[in-house]
Amino acid sequence: MSAVNEVGLKIAGTPDATGAPATTARRSWRRLWRLKWGLVAAVLMLLIVGVSAAAPWIAPYSPVEVDIRHRLAPPAWMDHGTPDHVLGTDQIGRDLLSRMIYGGRVSLLIGVAAVLVSSTIGVSLGLGAGYFGPRVDWTIMTLVNVMLTFPFVLLALAVIAVLGPSLVNMVIVLGVADGPLYARVIRAETMTLRERDFMTAARALGMSHPRIIFRQLLPNLVSVIVVIATLQVARVIILESFLSFLGLGVQPPTPAWGNMLGDGRVYMLNSWWIAAFPGLAIFITTLTINLMGNALRDWLDPHMKL
Amino acid sequence: MRRSLAIGLLAILALALALVPPAGAQTREETLIYSLQSDIDNWDPPNSVLREAIILGYHVYDHLAVRDLKTRRVGPNLATSWTNIDDTTWEVKLRQGVKFHDGTPFTSRDVKATFDRVLDPTKKMTARGNHAKIKAVDIIDDHTVRFRTDGPYPLFVERLTAQVMQSDKVIREKGHEWMQENPVGTGPYKLVKWNRKQEHQLVRNDDYWGPKPAFKHLRIRIIPEKATEIAELLSGGVDIIKAVPPDQMDVINKSGQARTGTSPILRTAMLQLDQASRSGPNPFTDRRVRQAANLAVDNDAIIKFVLNGLGDRVATGVNPMAFGWDPGLKPYKQDLAQAKKLLAEAGYPQGVDVLFNEGPPIVEPAIQQTNDAIIADMTKAGFRVKRNYIGDNTVLVARIKDGKAGSMFNWSWGYYSVFDADAILFDVFKCGENYSYYCNPALDDLIIQGRSTLDQKKRTEVYVKAQKLLFDDAAYLYKWGLRGVWGISNRIEYQAPADEVDRMFLVTPKKK
Amino acid sequence: MKRYALRQVVQLAVVIVGISMLAFAILHVIGDPVTLLLPQNAGKDEYARYNTLLGLDKPIYVQYWKFASRAAQGDFGKSWYADTPAFKLVLERMPPTLYLTTAGLVTALLIALPLGILAALKRHSFVDSLCTMVAVAGQAMPIFWLGIMLIIIFAVQLRLLPASGYGTWRHFLMPAFTLGAFLAPITMRLVRSGVIEIMNMEYIKTARAKGLAERLVVIKHAFRNACIPVITVLGLQFGQLLGGAVITETVFAWPGVATLTVDAIRNQDFPVVQCAVVLLALIIVTVNFLVDMIVGLIDPRIRVGA
Repeated sequence: MSAVNEVGLKIAGTPDATGAPATTARRSWRRLWRLKWGLVAAVLMLLIVGVSAAAPWIAPYSPVEVDIRHRLAPPAWMDHGTPDHVLGTDQIGRDLLSRMIYGGRVSLLIGVAAVLVSSTIGVSLGLGAGYFGPRVDWTIMTLVNVMLTFPFVLLALAVIAVLGPSLVNMVIVLGVADGPLYARVIRAETMTLRERDFMTAARALGMSHPRIIFRQLLPNLVSVIVVIATLQVARVIILESFLSFLGLGVQPPTPAWGNMLGDGRVYMLNSWWIAAFPGLAIFITTLTINLMGNALRDWLDPHMKL
Repeated sequence: MRRSLAIGLLAILALALALVPPAGAQTREETLIYSLQSDIDNWDPPNSVLREAIILGYHVYDHLAVRDLKTRRVGPNLATSWTNIDDTTWEVKLRQGVKFHDGTPFTSRDVKATFDRVLDPTKKMTARGNHAKIKAVDIIDDHTVRFRTDGPYPLFVERLTAQVMQSDKVIREKGHEWMQENPVGTGPYKLVKWNRKQEHQLVRNDDYWGPKPAFKHLRIRIIPEKATEIAELLSGGVDIIKAVPPDQMDVINKSGQARTGTSPILRTAMLQLDQASRSGPNPFTDRRVRQAANLAVDNDAIIKFVLNGLGDRVATGVNPMAFGWDPGLKPYKQDLAQAKKLLAEAGYPQGVDVLFNEGPPIVEPAIQQTNDAIIADMTKAGFRVKRNYIGDNTVLVARIKDGKAGSMFNWSWGYYSVFDADAILFDVFKCGENYSYYCNPALDDLIIQGRSTLDQKKRTEVYVKAQKLLFDDAAYLYKWGLRGVWGISNRIEYQAPADEVDRMFLVTPKKK
Repeated sequence: MKRYALRQVVQLAVVIVGISMLAFAILHVIGDPVTLLLPQNAGKDEYARYNTLLGLDKPIYVQYWKFASRAAQGDFGKSWYADTPAFKLVLERMPPTLYLTTAGLVTALLIALPLGILAALKRHSFVDSLCTMVAVAGQAMPIFWLGIMLIIIFAVQLRLLPASGYGTWRHFLMPAFTLGAFLAPITMRLVRSGVIEIMNMEYIKTARAKGLAERLVVIKHAFRNACIPVITVLGLQFGQLLGGAVITETVFAWPGVATLTVDAIRNQDFPVVQCAVVLLALIIVTVNFLVDMIVGLIDPRIRVGA
């Protein structure tokens, strides 16, 4: 029976419950094989990121080049489609394939940046709440509750109306909106860890708070943080499309999957490709990230509650 | 746990079933369904700024005068005739035998009460500005009133189409707050129920003094999402929708369920250039640069390819349907060589940088697409356009009003449905007005002349001069008059209205 | 337990006051409501007159104090657009949104429970990944994309359901499904991990050995264990759901309070925004409070702030 604490975090180093063979090498290979879908996902993700990064060299056209005489051209394999525009053109004649590739850069960048912001905020809040005792806990959790209850839309409108619709502001809004989610989870984990032997030992030894936090707590929290962060990137990409729906997302003519989907939604009735391809991109990326996240969780800590 | 879950689920199910509305006596056959993308804020038309309030007002209330859609001229409605006794007094005779929905007869007392209420400076009625030139309304007898105006008021008759007649009894006895949700008018339909943001249910007024509507029941549904609205039209859930984007017209026309109808409307689009330097020094203070901008853009091609032909090119901001429009003035034709030459003459041989404040697609169809096309053309002539997209219309309008929208921004003007050149010249071209970025004393003189006389011939001459001035001076980058596109179910007959006011009481079932 | 409950109630009150202050501050920063209220051709003195009439010329803390003192008595002022009490407007539109979010949560459960259990039983197999993918699929598509696609398929092409609107049970199906699909992934994950954890415990193994009756007792225990995190997260999600509700309500022409709030924000109809934000906060915080109480009763170790 493995040592499992109340919240389900497996204590590193003890054998797991399935009775796997003792040799480390074979165990590693077995684990890797079990995670094969995750690996496939990871490779796919790498491909997506690679293509987006290589946009200036791969994309056939500029993503903002307008050509009104060839607008609404269908993908190459359909009637009226041309091989000039493999995935067709949008409502002002911009090449869809190029916009998809460039759009990936923007969407992925926002996803990663927002998650960095939100995890920093959330971990700080959660750690503070879980570590420093009831008064601090109460204050921080009240703050967290305010953040959770505050309508995201109002926040988005406020920030973007006041500071202008820029990428930076979007990242801030998305980061702040998602921070509280981490806080709760990290708080629960911290509180559990706090009661463990190695923590009481550290305090008995007279270790300073920062040292305990950075040397003892954080390493144990990394697995949870990493898994949540990975999953959050997928969520942020979706949230970006919500902002575009409200008119607050990445502003034209810069392409991002979210705003391409938002602008193209009225075309779902006839020129369906304008919305279908960015939608597909979001769909595949989100699935891939989730599978990767699952694999990460299983690799780092199979008993994680996520 | 499972048990409570099961109970919870059953509760939800029961709740859901409870929402099934009681079997109504209404059939789909006798019901007409019209959809709007946003709801009105209240049922008191002079207390609202919204186009939807104007439209709905036409159904439950009547006006003293209305526009005939075929002749486009203003004709009698609740007023049977009007004359101006002198330059500042108009006498209006009222129709007899008209009753409000609550049975009270319509008399001159109601006209006076309506205008007194709107003009009262202590109430915050939004329509007050529209009728500010009316000083007072005097009752002569039960069916005659006199309007005293502040100086000659040539738009008097036009503006009669913009005020609904409300009941004196209701104003006195029920009060302002009651009137926000309970319209008592003389119109062809009566309001039965209003579910805010969801729908309005109206029923035919069988005692109406005019031609009775063909459909007994009228439902006005609120559907904010355009794709859903079109889907509803295609699936038979709605009979008439408006503001169909040009690109979606083919879906509707090919569906076999509905068709599209178009009409030129008064709304005219342009790009305002900051000649008056309200936002500070900028290249457009030089006439040559403004002319170059007008010469750079191939507006005809944009109308043809981007709007699918749904636009009417204009030489200035004056719409072809407005009184005073000069048919002899031809718009700018694209001439890139000349544009570059003018820029060089103005001191910009290497091109020039300008800032473009763009708004969201709220009023003009396909605005993002047309903007992109215009900017592409301007770039060819040597303009380096920096784009500033303002996604929130309220922010954009505020900036425009504050004079911070230079050097160039999107604008369109609906004339308040007043088919007269003055209705755009004053607000959009006169020096110092909130929505004008142009300043030219010679034009201002012409504007004052045009609105200070009742002689229509003189006014026409004045406006011809004004348009020539605006054209030669290239005050703004002129675009086109908009065309409204409606989606109409094949089970009905309907004519797209040139004044942007939908009249459901004129709809008839399809002739068999 | 009583002290715990009391502390939570105090926190509740603080959160609500905090939110109302924050909303008030943000609204005043966003823009100028008077410009929106007046027709385009109103002059400068009309503007000044309105400003005074609406009380906007007084300093901000005076305005807040007036608002707060009246709000405590239930008077949130009159909407600046509709000239009717804001409280009435918001209350009218609450039920559709509440029904929708509840239906969404139930749908999420209906999707997540079977998938989560299946995935737990077949852990690490292809079925596991497949279940994750199905659960995630709902969230990988932006709500408006999924919604419009459903409308095109079920309303336009198949004519089985009404495209939009509110009224009969048929009107509920597509919106509830759209919203529920959005929530399914996280719920499924929690069900899965909850079931896995139970399966690994000693008494399950012995129960399996002992036979059917023991098994039932144990399954009941498994459910309970899986339910705690599910309830917690659903409670949390209720607040987040409002973001998804805005889009669902817009796409399906659902007359709910989420769209009312967004419109009021755009129109800068201060009284309505304040009222909606405070009332929504009240509901969300109450829901979270109830959730915390229930969970605290079941498992005293996880008490928040204890």
